[in-house]
Amino acid sequence: MPLPLDDIRIVEMGQLLAVPHLTRLMADMGAEVIKVESTIRLDPHRGDAFYGNNPGTQPWNQAANFNDQNRNKLGVTLDLSKAEGREALLDLIRLSDVFAVNFRPRVLQNLEIEYPTLREVKPDLIMLTSTGYGSTGPWQNYGAVGPTTEAASGLSSMTGYPDGEPVLPELPHTDYVAAEHGLVAVMAALLHRQRTGEGQLIDLSQAHAQTATIGEAILDYGLRGEVASPVGNSDRLSAPNDVYPCAGHDCWIAISVASDQMWASLCSVMENPSWCQNPKFNSNESRLAHSEELNASLGNWTKSQEAGQLMHRLQAAGVSAGAVATGKDLLLDPHLRERGFFEAVAHYPDSGLPALPYVGRPWKFSLTPGQTRSAAPTLGQHNHYVLGNILGWSEERIVGLEQSGVIGNAPLDPPTAAPLPLERLLELGAIRQADGDFESIVRRIIQAPQ
Amino acid sequence: MTTPAALQGVKVLELGHYIAGPYCGKLLASHGADVVKVEAPITGDGLRHRGPFAGNDPHFEKSVPFLYLNTSKRGITLNLKDEQGSALCRELIQQTDILVENLAPGTLDGWGLSYEALAEINPSLVMVSISNFGQTGPYRDYRASELVEYAMGGLMYIFGDASREPLKHALDQAQHKAGTYAAGAALMALYYQRRTGQGQWIDVSIQESLAVSLRDTIGIYVYQGAVRSRPPADNKGLGRVVRTSDGYIVPIPYGGVDWEVLANFLEAPELMADRFQTAQGRLDHAQELHGLLEDRFKEWGASDLFHKAQEWGLVFGIVQNVKQVLESPQLQARGSLTEVDHPVAGAAAYPGSAAIFSATPDRPPSPAPMLGQHTEDVLSEWLGLSSEHVRGHRDKGIV
Repeated sequence: MPLPLDDIRIVEMGQLLAVPHLTRLMADMGAEVIKVESTIRLDPHRGDAFYGNNPGTQPWNQAANFNDQNRNKLGVTLDLSKAEGREALLDLIRLSDVFAVNFRPRVLQNLEIEYPTLREVKPDLIMLTSTGYGSTGPWQNYGAVGPTTEAASGLSSMTGYPDGEPVLPELPHTDYVAAEHGLVAVMAALLHRQRTGEGQLIDLSQAHAQTATIGEAILDYGLRGEVASPVGNSDRLSAPNDVYPCAGHDCWIAISVASDQMWASLCSVMENPSWCQNPKFNSNESRLAHSEELNASLGNWTKSQEAGQLMHRLQAAGVSAGAVATGKDLLLDPHLRERGFFEAVAHYPDSGLPALPYVGRPWKFSLTPGQTRSAAPTLGQHNHYVLGNILGWSEERIVGLEQSGVIGNAPLDPPTAAPLPLERLLELGAIRQADGDFESIVRRIIQAPQ
Repeated sequence: MTTPAALQGVKVLELGHYIAGPYCGKLLASHGADVVKVEAPITGDGLRHRGPFAGNDPHFEKSVPFLYLNTSKRGITLNLKDEQGSALCRELIQQTDILVENLAPGTLDGWGLSYEALAEINPSLVMVSISNFGQTGPYRDYRASELVEYAMGGLMYIFGDASREPLKHALDQAQHKAGTYAAGAALMALYYQRRTGQGQWIDVSIQESLAVSLRDTIGIYVYQGAVRSRPPADNKGLGRVVRTSDGYIVPIPYGGVDWEVLANFLEAPELMADRFQTAQGRLDHAQELHGLLEDRFKEWGASDLFHKAQEWGLVFGIVQNVKQVLESPQLQARGSLTEVDHPVAGAAAYPGSAAIFSATPDRPPSPAPMLGQHTEDVLSEWLGLSSEHVRGHRDKGIV
């Protein structure tokens, strides 16, 4: 089946999320992505969330986040400090369209793989550097991860409980936002190359990608002198618009009333209790002014309701409402399942993993739908294929590289993975529930017809 | 001579309103596409009526979010509910590479502008439709707000403190994410169209735009049967924000730091006590440790602490408010802010796009179009209509 990017080859030297997520999306849409890894410094994503919480003998091949972000890719390990490792990388770049890295300028310089050097190897190369704050400017060599770029972007200063301290989510949100913007940038450059034959360097700042999504707040300072601070879940435009407790432990529903008509519908679903008739609540302006009292009364009613059922009842009445979903809720969600959002992925036998569901893509293409063709590579899995079939190096030479440690299938210094037991994570409050029978639940998800 | 933009010659028609469609159009425009935004006569994009407004004046040319999300576009008005209006739109679509829309699913069908109908007149059209829950499935017609998307997209449940209600990010991250994914998808489909001549329809869901980017949430259930939740306020990992004498920093390396470097940097030998030397030990004595570190951090200013830590190779972050972002030497050095002067709303610094292109620099942004500002230009340039012809349409309320 043809795919939009099936004539594109990408060499990726990324870790964690910002670059791997970008190339994963392109791989799903047909690009051949060769992920270059190191056996000396593993991608940190190979180091956690192991299957069954059991590191086993090869934990680096059983890690959830790595396997999520690197499926459909070919995996090769190269020691770039050795001449032949570097030669292999340059040869691969010579045969590729895009080189995507998330190293800081200092690291690229040390490895002698800066854009001017690579352009000599491959004149129409598109090279993407994705770094915390960009590869130019006074912060170019600053280390960064998702939460620190989110903090610097301006987003955190406005996010949190009303007038409280800044709150960051427990995941690297900005890494994804940067990957999304990087995808747009790489595709724009590919279209330019398609038209003109010219390649280029794209210097992406992860923090700035995040800032671009809060442009209205930056502009609001310029136009009104307003410095935004946390407002919780309210948008200060309409009320009620918040999350309310529901029956059960830690169950919630989001309700957003956008008009007087929606307010009337909400009241009628509640069977018009007397407090609804209070004139304080008969216009949006007045509801906003009395939102504390309004939220208390509404929450008092929702707390005896089951969140999922209430969502459907409110939606049937035309009220914007959604139950707050856990990861498990999403996996079992009938809407996402009907849309085929989760895809079953069969793993390579040497990973020791069964077929498992993974999230798909946020888009559906009518003519060339994306697809998961293969699971994430185990460490160094495609060394022979990539060096032999793509570069045409002899088997003898490849075996020699194995012997001299230029390539390999195991970490040079295997990490001692000692994950906390789930019982301890429950105690610490990092998770709320651990299902002993999850394997059969998960199996049913991928077996049920969608 | 001006350098060519990356998307030079790409024609985009945007039937977008509020956030997601317009952000998609804005990104395409920033890379040089010719983006024409279609609005309803008289009222325009609903976002024009949402504040805050420049100078606190609730005028439809002064909506701050509208001004930001519609830079570098041309604006026309077209009454799509009128048959002649939708016929004009079809003529424009015959000239279009990418059609971006984020109306409720089914809305365009009602105006004779379904993908099937449009593909007949322009088989190479790339149409991207962004909606709350996608164009199919049982929730297709469910209503949503940004807050409801956060709830149903799975980000909210793990966001905030265990003892309090779940939180969302400020403003409209879900809708911006969907707009960004839509722009990437549209360009992938355009790349394919340029190779094969074939267009297609792309269905982007805001809910899925959040659900696709939830690290450790779906995967940890599939791999371990664990349901992640919001951590207790005093036991955050990644998301720990710590107060200094004058602001907040994000001292990431609680988990993987070279502990000795941290102890030396903070001049805190007490951190070298045996009980803090392993990850397990630090967890077991978390409260004592946080207390110790936070006392040290309070002796610093946030900016000094951030820059000094970076010099020591410690990956600390700094919380910047919008004023600090605007004044940041890093943004300034990268030329990432541009002064844009809007004829009605006035001048201000606008953040530009996230990437610097060596061969095809982004166009400096031009101000958001005033309602119907480019109707005559575009109808003349794209369709060859005369001013008289356009005037006739205007008299009938079609444009």
